[in-house]
Amino acid sequence: MGSGMEFFIALLGPVLGVMFVALLVASFIALYTLAAVYAERKVSAFIQDRVGPLETGPRGLLQTVADILKLLLKEDIVPRMADKPLWVVAPFVVFSAVFVGYAVMPFGPELVAANLNVGVLFITAFAAFEVAGLLLAGWGSNNKYALYGAVRSVAQVISYEIPAGLAVLSVVLLAGTLNLQEIVLQQGIGASGPRHLFGLPFLPDVSALGGLFTWNVLAYPHLLIAFAIYFIASLAEVNRAPFDIPEAESELVAGYHTEYGGIKFAFFYLAEYGGMLLVGLIGAVLFLGGWHSPLPNLGPVRLADWTTGPIWGIFWLLLKGFAAVFVHMWARWTLPRLRVDQLMYLCWKVLTPFAVAMVVVSAFWASWR
Amino acid sequence: MSTSPAAGAARWAASDPNRVRLKDLRTEEMVLNMGPQHPSTHGVLRLEVVTDGEIVIDVIPHLGYLHRCFEKHAESLTYPQVIPYVDRMDYLAAMNNELAWAVAVERLLGIEEDIHPRVQYIRVLMAELNRIASHLVSIGTFGQDAGAVTPFLWCFRDREHILNLFEWASGARLLYNYIWIGGLMHDLPVGFEERCREFVQYFRPRVRELNDLLTYNTIFVERTANVGVLPLEVAINYGCSGPMLRGSGLRWDLRRDDPYLVYPDLEFDVCVGRGEVGTPGDCWNRYKVRAEEIEQSLRIIEQCLDQLQRGVARRTADFDPQKLCPPRVVPPRGAEVYARFENPRGELGFYILSDGTEKPFRVKARSPSFSNLSVLPEISRGAMLADLIVILGSVDIVLGEVDR
Amino acid sequence: MMAQRGYWANLRTGLRTVWTGLRLTFRHLKQARRRRAPVPIWDPSYFRQPDGQVTIRYPHEAIPVPDTGRYRLHNHIDDCIGCLKCARVCPVDCITIETIKAVEDLGTTSNGQKKRLWIARFDIDMAKCCYCGLCTMVCPTECLTMTKVHDFSEFDRDNMVYHFANLTPEEAEEKRRLAEAAAARPTAPVREGASEKPAAGSGKPAFAPRAVPRGQSAPPGQAGAPATRPAFAPGAVPGPEPEQSGEAEPKAETSSPQAEERKPTPRPFVFKRKES
Ligand code: SF4
Ligand code: SF4
Repeated sequence: MGSGMEFFIALLGPVLGVMFVALLVASFIALYTLAAVYAERKVSAFIQDRVGPLETGPRGLLQTVADILKLLLKEDIVPRMADKPLWVVAPFVVFSAVFVGYAVMPFGPELVAANLNVGVLFITAFAAFEVAGLLLAGWGSNNKYALYGAVRSVAQVISYEIPAGLAVLSVVLLAGTLNLQEIVLQQGIGASGPRHLFGLPFLPDVSALGGLFTWNVLAYPHLLIAFAIYFIASLAEVNRAPFDIPEAESELVAGYHTEYGGIKFAFFYLAEYGGMLLVGLIGAVLFLGGWHSPLPNLGPVRLADWTTGPIWGIFWLLLKGFAAVFVHMWARWTLPRLRVDQLMYLCWKVLTPFAVAMVVVSAFWASWR
Repeated sequence: MSTSPAAGAARWAASDPNRVRLKDLRTEEMVLNMGPQHPSTHGVLRLEVVTDGEIVIDVIPHLGYLHRCFEKHAESLTYPQVIPYVDRMDYLAAMNNELAWAVAVERLLGIEEDIHPRVQYIRVLMAELNRIASHLVSIGTFGQDAGAVTPFLWCFRDREHILNLFEWASGARLLYNYIWIGGLMHDLPVGFEERCREFVQYFRPRVRELNDLLTYNTIFVERTANVGVLPLEVAINYGCSGPMLRGSGLRWDLRRDDPYLVYPDLEFDVCVGRGEVGTPGDCWNRYKVRAEEIEQSLRIIEQCLDQLQRGVARRTADFDPQKLCPPRVVPPRGAEVYARFENPRGELGFYILSDGTEKPFRVKARSPSFSNLSVLPEISRGAMLADLIVILGSVDIVLGEVDR
Repeated sequence: MMAQRGYWANLRTGLRTVWTGLRLTFRHLKQARRRRAPVPIWDPSYFRQPDGQVTIRYPHEAIPVPDTGRYRLHNHIDDCIGCLKCARVCPVDCITIETIKAVEDLGTTSNGQKKRLWIARFDIDMAKCCYCGLCTMVCPTECLTMTKVHDFSEFDRDNMVYHFANLTPEEAEEKRRLAEAAAARPTAPVREGASEKPAAGSGKPAFAPRAVPRGQSAPPGQAGAPATRPAFAPGAVPGPEPEQSGEAEPKAETSSPQAEERKPTPRPFVFKRKES
């Protein structure tokens, strides 16, 4: 008994710690979603010469809070013909698939919840797991529109895993590790080994300079294309316009979440916006130096050193992530939606060949180095 | 699923009246019911779609959700009283409808030639402004059907200016009752012509902006070019008119081919689908015809303004368009007329038969949207589900006019 | 599908047009720092407003309604001669009028026409009205006008029936009795709309021949504020005053429809149709 109790107490600490971190991240995602929904409304409004939310709170800032309260208070309706267990569990599957992605995200020099050696694999695997949730939602709703949305999203997400995965692979080949934290560390002042500007040996070594120049996209210029491929594919993976065919409003009403309301709907929203940030963060970690500062050390002006640290790390990473989210929004309110077959054309005939080419370049580069 | 097949079948029966019976479907086919409440059916249209995965096997439009008995109503109203009802047919182009009714009745009375030139020019000006407003809605919603929301709001932003102009002139923003038989409700307010000219100047760059954002955007072109191709003979056989017909390549515009009012004196091009992108008769070309017609309407407006400000239709102190209206509209017994007009959506025709009283004996309205919609199944079989929405958007129906 | 042009050409146009679109929307995003003022269309600066936000923040500001604006009907009942032209021309039959022949002299309207009839009932069902304005055009005394009040929704549909008559049921009964006594032929209710309410007390015997001394003028409060519905009409439910909420904060450049309505509505386009 005594040893059992001790074991239990010994376990309690880490478990509580993990739960604390998880809660922290969860509340961060919730808060971020509130802000992002507000931002999206404002961005779309400004692009369309409108004003966006304005009446609820100062400058409409409380609008999303009011919305979430409304969703919380709504009656939880289960459609009569729905497959209830599947239907109920789907939003949580979708959300948790996104949520666990944050576990391996390095937010700063020491700030990573789970420093997995297979972090990249972990994230890719769980991003694919989201598909299961979408399919459950579509099938469980027993609604034709929802089913269409689900089938479309499965086809889309699985297809776009490939160019996205290949783009990631071209980074991993050069980095020689699947650990996200190590990939980040290689792109900053603390990098081990020399890093030449644009990866060309006759150009100066910039590893002491840090900042912008040590980021993967500048250290290996072909990764800029890989980054573009990754970015486009990630738009598709989180079902954002112009690849929002699973919830294509004008065709499928709301796609796989047509039948959802109240708090379950809110979870889909959390997952969507959480996913947007997550893919943005992954892009930043793999290509844009993660939590490293973009400012280089210039002689005595040691900007990179001054702007590095746990707080700075969070700041830089989130800044890069938010920038990606902004571009997502900007593209959404500019472009029309692709059709299913055009989506596949883009994936298989444009993105995938280029991504394969990037992997080949990376492979040669890595072996030649 | 969790319920028994019998319960399921009972629920299926509840969704009658469907044209397609479940037992007639093949295994991989499914009936998808779109509307009457659906974001993209442009009102209360119901489409019964038989699909095989993403492919549309057949479409059956179900109408009548907005039927208001216009033709029967008209029989119990005097001729001027019908105008507010005509407004409500194609509520996006009420001026054009009023113009059609007014000119049709004038033709019935035999006074079409005697209409004051200023009245005629004002009517044309209003009709063309309304054509722009209507095409803006059409283009905007079409873009939205293809997934682009921003052009839609930009279009509505500019349409708002036209509505403001209309409210200034007529007092109402949507259903004007402005064009009366023989005359108008009011003369144009002072300063209207100048503001209208400013509108033309303001609007031209916006059309260019719209082209940049939408017309030539590759995704939009891919979505609409070569989709829903309507061959010319099919268009003619189904009685399509307006941009639907011109999109298929026929240079047929009633403003030029069966002219009314002062259209013969005005210079404008009849836009047709040339297959600049895609093939003539596809959604993109129909869209492009509308976009080009906006520019032609701007040309017409400028010419009208020239006449209204300096030409034959100058403002005079004693001009009162209300006084020009005949006090009682009583066409001779047995007189009948079929008059047709180029509305934004195509040929709007009125057949009117008089029994010598103040009220028409019979009115038949030939609405362009109705005929254009009838071709929908023909051109969407074999397309994809997303295409169906785009095709429907390119047909550009107004349910108020389809059902009347 | 994409076979029309080459693969690379297609890719290039794709990237170029997407970039054009993105640049355009970004310009609008930047423009959103400015906004246009809600100036009326007759203002010379209407089309010279800056690009930017165009939304009009409705309850706080509104585009001013032009003088021609055709919104809620108002009848200045003192000028109404009960000629029924408006009720006859209305395409949807939403005006219901009952008149009683007057034995005494009712004077003239403000444009000099002789008044001969008491208006026992003048109801307009604004829920049915289609705002065509035909009734205002035929009115010979121009007492029936369309005002600029456009925001007058109600929770109860009955409140959309506007009662303009200024006789109480008792008074109406009294006049009717007098008219019957004076002439052999009484004036019957002429036209009934679909929304009939039983004319109050029409079947009951008058209990006392108590002549209500009554001048020409309307009861106090009625003549001065035409916007208020006469509260004593039968069955009128005093509802919330919706016209207060819409135009609560008149801005400098926004004309207040209510303030406008208190003075006689200007009618710039005078029309007198000659009925043969
Ligand atoms: S505005 Fe038209 S519908 Fe309304 S009361 Fe007058 S005539 Fe009737
Ligand atoms: S037309 Fe004018 S005067 Fe005649 S009844 Fe109507 S409101 Fe009164």
